[in-house]
Amino acid sequence: MPHLNPAPWFAILLFSWLVFLTIIPTKVMSHTSPNEPITLDSEKHKTEPWNWPWQ
Amino acid sequence: MAMSFFDQFASSSCMGVPLIAIAIALPWVMYPTSTSRWINNRLITIQGWFINRFTNQLMLPLSMGGHKWALLLASLMVFLITINMIGLLPYTFTPTTQLSLNMGFAVPLWLATVIIGMRNQPTVALGHLLPEGTPIPLIPVLIIIETISLFIRPLALGVRLTANLTAGHLLIQLIATAVFVLLPMMPTVAIITAAILFLLTLLEVAVAMIQAYVFVLLLSLYLQENV
Repeated sequence: MPHLNPAPWFAILLFSWLVFLTIIPTKVMSHTSPNEPITLDSEKHKTEPWNWPWQ
Repeated sequence: MAMSFFDQFASSSCMGVPLIAIAIALPWVMYPTSTSRWINNRLITIQGWFINRFTNQLMLPLSMGGHKWALLLASLMVFLITINMIGLLPYTFTPTTQLSLNMGFAVPLWLATVIIGMRNQPTVALGHLLPEGTPIPLIPVLIIIETISLFIRPLALGVRLTANLTAGHLLIQLIATAVFVLLPMMPTVAIITAAILFLLTLLEVAVAMIQAYVFVLLLSLYLQENV
């Protein structure tokens, strides 16, 4: 069977790993989300009352 | 030179360029690099959805150390599933039918998981060779068996993918030849065979996706044991 022939195996190995290490991760990485997930601030901000300066 | 059914797996050349090189290098034009826009087009959105969802699911059983492999495993999945699916189109060449390519991915990645396990937690890694609760007289035999099963993993990984895809492509070619030969002689039988060919092609689509997934899943499992 021709695909059990080891002759170009090294070229195949090299080329496929080259593509696998360079092209694909750049494309996959570009799908990452833009923001870092942050933990919720447990401290609630105190609402400061202010008087509306109604006219 | 007699044509045999295995000739489809010999990488031919098109104008001096080996077909396997084109088959490995070209599919990535179908994956546009995602932009930094808030909303992308449909293709990028669906690819991003798939990649993120898949990585999420794959990382679920892994500890934090295993999450370093997220990009590698996601890339591997994209690589395998694209190549498998494109190979089902007529007149294409499927590089994953080549044992060299599959072993070229299986052996280094499996070896990486083993080496990581041996370096970071050698006791735990070696402890996997003896399942819990083994009766004492069975211990030596079981260690030998588990070691053999450990070393057979890369072989099984590579050969599984190769054999599944090769067998599928061979079957498609065989049955298609049968339809072609039967058409002038017995048209009804030819039509039934064509229906079988259609069902087989659907099966091959499923096999293409499943085999890619199984490859990556097993690697993640080997990583889970060792990381």
